[in-house]
Amino acid sequence: MTHPWWLRGAPGRWMLALVFFGLASIGLIIPLIVGVLWSLVNPNVGWFPPAIVPASLSLANWRAMLSVPEIGQAFVMSFLIAPLVTVLCSALALPTGYALGRRRLRMRRTIELLVLAPIILPGIVLATGLGSMFIRLGLSHTIPGVVLVQTVVLLPFMIRIVAATFEGVPQDLIDAGRNLGASPWALTRHVLIPLVKPGLFAGGLFTFIGSLEEFVLTFIVGMPHVQTLPVLLWAYLGGRSSIFTYAAVVTMVLLVPTILLMFIAERTLRQEYLAAGFGKV
Amino acid sequence: MEQITAAFPRVTRRRTRRREWLTDLVLLTPGVGYLLLFMCVPLAQVVLRGFGLLAIGEPSHFTLALYREILASKIYRDSIVFSLYFALGTTVVSLALALVASALLQVNFPGRSLISVLYKIPLVVPSLVAAFLVLTIIDQGGIIARAVARFGVEWPELVHDRWGMGIILVLVWHNVPIMIVILSAVMSAIPHDLSAAARNLGASPWQVFRNVTLPLSLPGISAASLLVFIGVFGAFSIPSLVGAAYPKAISVVMSTEVLDRANWALASALGTIVTVLSAVLLYMYYRLIRHQEAAQR
Repeated sequence: MTHPWWLRGAPGRWMLALVFFGLASIGLIIPLIVGVLWSLVNPNVGWFPPAIVPASLSLANWRAMLSVPEIGQAFVMSFLIAPLVTVLCSALALPTGYALGRRRLRMRRTIELLVLAPIILPGIVLATGLGSMFIRLGLSHTIPGVVLVQTVVLLPFMIRIVAATFEGVPQDLIDAGRNLGASPWALTRHVLIPLVKPGLFAGGLFTFIGSLEEFVLTFIVGMPHVQTLPVLLWAYLGGRSSIFTYAAVVTMVLLVPTILLMFIAERTLRQEYLAAGFGKV
Repeated sequence: MEQITAAFPRVTRRRTRRREWLTDLVLLTPGVGYLLLFMCVPLAQVVLRGFGLLAIGEPSHFTLALYREILASKIYRDSIVFSLYFALGTTVVSLALALVASALLQVNFPGRSLISVLYKIPLVVPSLVAAFLVLTIIDQGGIIARAVARFGVEWPELVHDRWGMGIILVLVWHNVPIMIVILSAVMSAIPHDLSAAARNLGASPWQVFRNVTLPLSLPGISAASLLVFIGVFGAFSIPSLVGAAYPKAISVVMSTEVLDRANWALASALGTIVTVLSAVLLYMYYRLIRHQEAAQR
């Protein structure tokens, strides 16, 4: 055994489990519970120090989603932009990702670097460049403008996931299909598409949720006319005016899809797709 | 058959090569073309504008005046130093935590599979939400402050503080999981035989960690650190929400130049500084992961 003595027996391992779960509850579970509590605070009573638990709970803040126009509008705006971005990203990424995944390319290194760049370059720099460019093009503060800028940062993830997906298709299967006399169309229909479907689904999901969450570029290019949920959250958290209870509601709306994605990705999808998306080793 | 192909080798090969090249071009144009148009062009504009060219609403001519202005002004200098400071701080703290956590995650303890799902949650949480979640805990009105107030302890100001403790805390919360993902992948790839052999030769667990695990994880450590450093150096939303009024992060200064003063030229000069630094680090990161992928093959 290579472990130190205190990790070899059962008690040591239970201690380790205890430490990890303790950290997880302080760092993750308690913040999530407190976030939910903030969204349920009764606005007439409030939640002031030193109360650890709010004195009175209500659904008033959740009802605000319907009664406060800006929250409802931001909700609609976010869920209008996200599908558009997903469709645009998929259309652009499919051919390019296929080429990167399955073809021998000249200048592959340059292309890979180009695709990696928007993932890593600071959003604020891209936002400064695109902001002034879109003012000239008349795309600032418009929905098409926001769709285009979100695509810049989300397209690389999609391309990487599509490339990893196509790269993962075993050549043997395609060769076998071809040897058995399948036409290119039949090969695509019955071999390629079923094999790449999960990866493409993961990419689409990733892009959709990425679009719901994108902040910096939407903020600089879309303000003040295009207000998505993260832009509203920024305002509620102290950007211009601070409303903690509404911030909690918007937080929960943004958090649920991401955590769902997390679990779907953990359970059903191959880790490589997600790793490719994150651009990690 | 061979004779036939030998008769016209060159022509056919050249023609197919050209056709292949055309196919590549057609396939690559949508994705790469989009990035060239909407990433490279704006970035080039930012750099040119930083040197006084392509100015908006002013006569444009090449000048270094903007950089002189940045160097002369304490506000801009401080913002660059402050961004470097919290980026470095976040990277060092996250690396230390991630090293310990990923070494311990190699041990098979009860509930490990649950923990390895749970720790990845911050990875997908948007940074604004991360700021909110951490704020509810560490702010002066937060849960910890309320809990310790019962015992008469006054909780220190961690948010909007001069030393950027709040910024570093939120950024660490957000970046530790990425590091653990990378480091534990690297560590679990280290052959078990090596550490077992070291143990048999009389090394203590600490010596194994120090002299076997750590050196073999070095490529992962450098890649993870570079990745976190670049991401944090240009981060906007967390410093803008949790940061103090002074000094401000360079990204926050850029956004106020753009949104409040419409001073695109100065924002571009600051952006050029950020871009050059990030580009150098990005290239280093790319070289690193290329090496690792090559080593894996």
